[in-house]
Amino acid sequence: MFEQEIRRKAKELLEVKAVDLVIGYTSGSLPFQARPTLVSSPEDTEQLVWNHFCSPNLARYLLPYRDSSKKIALLAKGCDARAVVVLLREEQFPRERIHIIGLPCPGIISKRKLEEKLGEIKEEDFSWEESGFLCQGKKWEIDSFLEDTCVRCRYPNPPLWDDLIGEKRESRGSSVDYLERISSQSEEERWQFFTQELSRCIRCYACRNACPLCYCKECFAESDVPRWISGVPTLSDNSFFHLGRSIHLAGRCVECGACERACPEEIKIGLLPLKVEEIIKNSFSFEAGLSLEEEAPLLTYKENDPGEFIK
Amino acid sequence: MKNDWEPKIVAFLCHWCSYAGADLAGISRIQYPPNIRVIRVPCSGAVNPLYILKALREGADGVLVSGCHPGDCHYLSGNYFARRKFFVLHELLQWLGIEKDRVQFSWVSASEGQKFSQVVEETVEKVKKLGPAQKLVKEFTFYV
Repeated sequence: MFEQEIRRKAKELLEVKAVDLVIGYTSGSLPFQARPTLVSSPEDTEQLVWNHFCSPNLARYLLPYRDSSKKIALLAKGCDARAVVVLLREEQFPRERIHIIGLPCPGIISKRKLEEKLGEIKEEDFSWEESGFLCQGKKWEIDSFLEDTCVRCRYPNPPLWDDLIGEKRESRGSSVDYLERISSQSEEERWQFFTQELSRCIRCYACRNACPLCYCKECFAESDVPRWISGVPTLSDNSFFHLGRSIHLAGRCVECGACERACPEEIKIGLLPLKVEEIIKNSFSFEAGLSLEEEAPLLTYKENDPGEFIK
Repeated sequence: MKNDWEPKIVAFLCHWCSYAGADLAGISRIQYPPNIRVIRVPCSGAVNPLYILKALREGADGVLVSGCHPGDCHYLSGNYFARRKFFVLHELLQWLGIEKDRVQFSWVSASEGQKFSQVVEETVEKVKKLGPAQKLVKEFTFYV
């Protein structure tokens, strides 16, 4: 899957010193995993990989370099590139310092779903093909193993890139996604569902730390003055944290699902920001991370905005 | 015992209009229920959605946010920004299954003492119907 081209491109950029650093993926310490890696010398580019398990959103790894002067290249799937667009839009980086190697994304496979359907899995049993894989003597389509956010993904292609490796892909955008499944329930059922989910939260803040757009120096969840919530993971404070986080992401969330994949309790935590994005898309026709010019929806207004809910 | 229950409602009122409207209601001796606890804010646009959640967490049964009519903002456009923020918050709370009548919004100008009293009456009535707040209220812990 274009691994060689990616390595070659990264090597070339580092050799001519067009960039000081390449952020990419390398194989993880466990099978069916890829982890982020930082490559700064041309020899090390051989460790870069690109497969169906490259799930972390690499825009997150740009943030520690915000105040340095390094030029950085990063591999960007559709959602990573959208996150970079939001970061550029919010003036976290000048455009010249970022080199985006765009990768049209085939979708990320969930290891959990593989295990659920195939039982115990070993890396050597798999042989990968373009749109599926062979395992246990059978051919499988990848579609039924995709992460929930990838099933509903409408932008597999990066909206902004300096180099594009691979062919552009059709958007998947399944109409029956997990957000709609929840939305079709009654209000009371939804509350039951969220109480069950959120009471499991241990407030480790892994979701916040995995999010490419949660970059406040001091998070409201940990601020002492004012002290919004306590550190104890009670249901009310967990709800407060996740509601507050999704409001902070309003009009910014790029729907990458990094928060959900980071959750050690496997809580469907991405649903709240996704819902906020849906509200904003329906009412203000805005989607985050698609353009460098468009005004953020909560930093602008129209005189005929919906106002029926106000007396 | 249950019949004695009176809701506590936190009201964020804009200094330039609704707060003066409440004042006018007072000096005109217009009656309204004593359930609201007024917090004066410089503009409805200054009301962070977290303030509303915080009020509910600390045990308020309802929250009322009131500002200037569209076009009349002292800071020209604060209430327009507020309207977008509150719209998102309102829809999100409803989707989560938190009663949306607990959080109410209104536009009341400095000359609308009568409207202010009506708004408070309606708000109190709706919150009374819902009963004491259960969702989002902080639980007792030894640490806080």
